[in-house]
Amino acid sequence: MRISDVRFSDRGTAVVARVTGEIDLSNADDIGAAIALEVTNRARVLVLDLAEVEYLDSAGMRLIFRLQERLRARSQTLRLVIPAASAIHDALRLAGVSGVVEVLETVDEALGGA
Amino acid sequence: MEGHPAEAPRHEPRAGQVVLPRVDAELAPSDQVRVLYRLSDPALSELGLDEFLDELLVRVRDALSVDTVAILLMDEEGQQLVARAANGIEEEVEQGVRIPLGLGFAGRIAAERAAIFIADVDHADILNPILREKGIRSLLGVPLIVEGDLIGVLHVGSLHPRTFGESDLAVLQVAAVRAAPGIERARLFSALEQEHRVAILLQRSLLPKRLAQIVGVTAAARYLPATDEVGGDWYDVFELPRGRVGVAIGDVVGHGLRAATLMGQLRTALHAYAIEDRGPGSTLEFVDRFIQAMPDDAMATAAYAVLDPLDGTIRVASAGHLPPVIVGESGGRLLEVTPATPLGAFSYGAYREHEMVLRPGETLIFYTDGLIERPEVPLERSIDEFVDRVSGATSAEDACRLAVANLVAAEKLRDDAAVVAIQNVTVPAELRMWLRADPRVLADVRRALRRWLRDRGADERSSNEIVLAVCEACTNAIEHAYSPAPAHFELRARADGELLEIVVTDSGQWRPPHGEHRGRGLKIIDDAMDEVQLNTNERGTRIVMRRSVTR
Repeated sequence: MRISDVRFSDRGTAVVARVTGEIDLSNADDIGAAIALEVTNRARVLVLDLAEVEYLDSAGMRLIFRLQERLRARSQTLRLVIPAASAIHDALRLAGVSGVVEVLETVDEALGGA
Repeated sequence: MEGHPAEAPRHEPRAGQVVLPRVDAELAPSDQVRVLYRLSDPALSELGLDEFLDELLVRVRDALSVDTVAILLMDEEGQQLVARAANGIEEEVEQGVRIPLGLGFAGRIAAERAAIFIADVDHADILNPILREKGIRSLLGVPLIVEGDLIGVLHVGSLHPRTFGESDLAVLQVAAVRAAPGIERARLFSALEQEHRVAILLQRSLLPKRLAQIVGVTAAARYLPATDEVGGDWYDVFELPRGRVGVAIGDVVGHGLRAATLMGQLRTALHAYAIEDRGPGSTLEFVDRFIQAMPDDAMATAAYAVLDPLDGTIRVASAGHLPPVIVGESGGRLLEVTPATPLGAFSYGAYREHEMVLRPGETLIFYTDGLIERPEVPLERSIDEFVDRVSGATSAEDACRLAVANLVAAEKLRDDAAVVAIQNVTVPAELRMWLRADPRVLADVRRALRRWLRDRGADERSSNEIVLAVCEACTNAIEHAYSPAPAHFELRARADGELLEIVVTDSGQWRPPHGEHRGRGLKIIDDAMDEVQLNTNERGTRIVMRRSVTR
């Protein structure tokens, strides 16, 4: 059983990648590869919508940081959507990730500056 | 011109045996090959297996001008080859020669799935004395393989010394390739009538070969074909998103090939709609739409349930199907489910969903009417008798065994019969999991642990934190397992009142985090748990984590 899904949509100069399900060592690399394929050079912003992710651990955080580095090298921006009520908020707090990457409440908020 | 193909390097040399590489069939003289191709398939013709094999042996003997031909088939345990048919060395079959896998001539052909040539039997490693007693001097044998499974060995022998060459091997290979699938099918269905055979073949290929393995539940199923005509019964057990489990049963109205084909379509449709994460009512509505969209009139009854092992919640809907049964410590009971109309029976079929709880240890049983219907017995009474019959079941497997017990003894089955059962397994107070060092086990760990934590009274937030920490420890164990053999690690969780102790032990070496963005796992474990001990030595690594259920 696949434990997560990724769906993409283009919103102007931004690409929104919406992940649902769980992210761990078994699928983080595959999700990263799927996103890398969809974010072309034309995109200026990648909005990674994790609002419906039910589980994320250090393997998922590694994915986020690698994405950020990759995008930065191409002058692109990564924004995360993780509502405060999200199941993975605690995980990010425990890992001390919040503050390193821009985290927003909704996709619309994340698209605001795009 | 016949040559000596060189011995393939990957095979260990053994006295007198030469392993031959595969040969392209094109090398074989076409007449010899044509005669073999013309052999018809015993499962689909009037020819029984015995006649088919005798015919095959004669043709191989003539095509290769050899003195002996023999076929040995693998026994059911896959440990021994048993002589099944022979020409020129009939003693093989008469004496019921058995050759252990890997030994002697035939045993090695089977074990290595390679063709082997023996130039001189007197100086070769062979096990079967009959070969020597018959005065056979040279041998050539090939494996019989069907869909990647080895089913037996075909070998030919010569009473005078002979060098079997590439063209001989090519002919023998053609015979093996041509005969193997037929033998396999004939073996399975030799007792059955032809159309029945085809339908059974189809039915078997459409039913799940293996039930999904899901943490927190065990599943079992049985399917018994009718004696005269195959029906359209099916069952299914599959995994759904978020660790939930789908269980389905159905019965297509009608018999024969058409019912079996339709069954396959409906089973696939139901699984496909279910995986979209719909509830059982909506899933049945979509299958109903699917059946209505088919060009032919078709009708089926079905029931579908979704179980969440985390809390035992079960949602179930029925499309005109027999009521499900739940069996637990206090015996068996029928579930009150609105039966609704069969699929395809009514333009606007609506399927009410019912929610209930399958408590730990309880088993849900779906079954078809072939299992309960008896001539001149009212349906209600048959159902009650069925409930009585399965009420003592202690597991899913047990439930299926009891459900079919009286049918297996019956001489003739009028209708086909299916039963599928799932049990909500009791989570032990001390959880022990022995896991493969494969990232895919992490999802299973989360499911098992969440349920264990729930039983210990953990709230959702505490549960999330503990699950995260334990998965980080397991991720470490998986990443550090680098032995060439499949590695494993162990997870143990126990509770002493409010205090939880969870231990992850692996046999790999703890390696300090390297590379950027590594080592975050240990910080997460530290923050989420009250106390963490990390012990590592040459035998492995052990992380002991303690915390109170809530904090």
